[in-house]
Amino acid sequence: MSATALPPGFDPAQIPPGLAIAQPMPDVLPPVKPRKGFIGFVRRHPTMAIGGFLLLLMLCIAIFAPYLFTKDPTALAPALRTREPSARWWFGTDMLGRDVYSRVLYGARVSLLVGFSVAILASVIGLFIGIVAGFNRVVDSIVMRVMDGLMSIPSILLAIALMALTRGSVQNVIIAITIADVPRVSRLVRGVVLSLREQPYVEAAVAAGTRTPVIMFKHILPNTLAPLTVQATYVCAAAMITEAILSFIGAGTPPIIPSWGNIMAEGRALWQVKPYIVFFPAIFLSITVLAVNLLGDGLRDAIDPRLAKRL
Amino acid sequence: MWAYIVRRVVATIPVMAIVALFVFSLLYLAPGDPAAVIAGDQATPEDVERIRASLGLDRPFLVRFGEWAFRIVQGDLGVSIFTNLPVVTMIKQRVEPTLSLMVVTLCLALSIAIPMGVIAAWKQGTTIDRIVMGVAVLGFSVPVFVVGYLLAYTFALELDWLPVQGYTPLSEGIPYWLENLILPAVALGGVYIALIARITRASMLEVLSQDYVRTARAKGAGQTSILFVHALKNAAVPIVTVVGIGFAGLIGGAVVTESVFAIPGLGRLTVDAILRRDYPVIQGVVLLFSFVYVIVNLAIDILYTVFDPRIRY
Repeated sequence: MSATALPPGFDPAQIPPGLAIAQPMPDVLPPVKPRKGFIGFVRRHPTMAIGGFLLLLMLCIAIFAPYLFTKDPTALAPALRTREPSARWWFGTDMLGRDVYSRVLYGARVSLLVGFSVAILASVIGLFIGIVAGFNRVVDSIVMRVMDGLMSIPSILLAIALMALTRGSVQNVIIAITIADVPRVSRLVRGVVLSLREQPYVEAAVAAGTRTPVIMFKHILPNTLAPLTVQATYVCAAAMITEAILSFIGAGTPPIIPSWGNIMAEGRALWQVKPYIVFFPAIFLSITVLAVNLLGDGLRDAIDPRLAKRL
Repeated sequence: MWAYIVRRVVATIPVMAIVALFVFSLLYLAPGDPAAVIAGDQATPEDVERIRASLGLDRPFLVRFGEWAFRIVQGDLGVSIFTNLPVVTMIKQRVEPTLSLMVVTLCLALSIAIPMGVIAAWKQGTTIDRIVMGVAVLGFSVPVFVVGYLLAYTFALELDWLPVQGYTPLSEGIPYWLENLILPAVALGGVYIALIARITRASMLEVLSQDYVRTARAKGAGQTSILFVHALKNAAVPIVTVVGIGFAGLIGGAVVTESVFAIPGLGRLTVDAILRRDYPVIQGVVLLFSFVYVIVNLAIDILYTVFDPRIRY
């Protein structure tokens, strides 16, 4: 091999005089190797890492609530009511003498349960409705009119109205918030489906005679999952806030179950003199919602880096 | 132009019909039989049946819906179960505080969020941009009542600058009226400000890279003029859309804010109605708020033509 790499069958003698053959560029710059492993992930997606960490922390608190030096969150002690936070009661006690620290920790269970359940249920139902509506004109025109109608009722009011029909229970709260969120999710999925249908690979599948259900669920569905996942995190965050609001105004989780909204509702009457009863659940709620929102922002940026630069 | 407006107005009719159908079903599905309640404990099944027939409760669903809708269109929302007052009267008594809160919040949110978004877009990638966007994420995450209590505790209880709770009618003077509304408006506006600031920044970034912005700069237009005259007008359509969509959150948030700050408005009325299971009032309030939301978004659809004369569907 000579110094100049020539294509095979190419005689250097045939090169006209005065023409130089460009030397291949040496690899001056080493290729960019993204750092692998945990630290690399944290560096590339700091928002997702922070959000994920905080959410994991809350999840641990919810799961291990009984072992984190808590007392029975419903145990009454009227003689020891409204004690300020101290070494004995870390977050103080409420107007019935219950330990606020224990109640706040157990409250994480309700919030996370409602947030995750609503996110999963609304995504699955919205995905199904959106895909079917994106493929069937008749279904589309009927279902989407209904969804437009439901969407023009502010979602908290819709959830309040539905809760007025039923008894307060965690299950009913989840159902009410899911119904209020499904229209938005199905609109999103329908939009994505309509744009995906124009893609060449879908046209190719149609041309190849693939049956419609196969196109819907094998070719289209996987491509809706990325935007749907991002949307699901926002639904989750909004659902946790809605649950707290419903409980706060007395139309949500029954008072016997400690949820952050309930604790705040009970602390409301005394908040000017004993603000800590309201503030501790408020801080926990805000951190959890922030964690989910950060996770969502991080996911969105990771899925669509082009958007990340702008939004 | 007029054809577009007429088409938008007509398009809201099916939406309102769906809302009305949903709200009517609410009362239809509500637990408890009004005929049995009116008849009392001593009544025989025949009595209950007679009362039901006299109230027209034995007729088919769609017939009852039609009659109900006819009364709604005439402005009759029924009578409260709890106070025996017409729902319309109850709503009229409560409308001023809520309307005031919304108007103040809207003005506050727009006057803070839009400059915030514009400046973040102008200074893209700098510390100012990061701070603005960080504040926006926080605004999204901290629920209305949390901000409300925090503000009330800091500025009313600790610093004693503003009244803690309550509402002063506009008729007693604008300063007193405003004094009571500042804290609730800031609390309620938090999420709204975050939403509008984010979309303003995104929309401005898109516009600022356009050729005519460079032209404006080349002909010597000032920075303020470029940002707020040339660019903002062309970035307005997405911003105005989000203002409309976010209005739903404003309505929902008002219910909570009024509870936190003890404002005797429609939100309090809703909460009281829920706790008493006063279905006609719940119906009336949901219907009214949805109607307002639809009208706001209709107005915004029409506003599009002002910002972008090309829009003609």
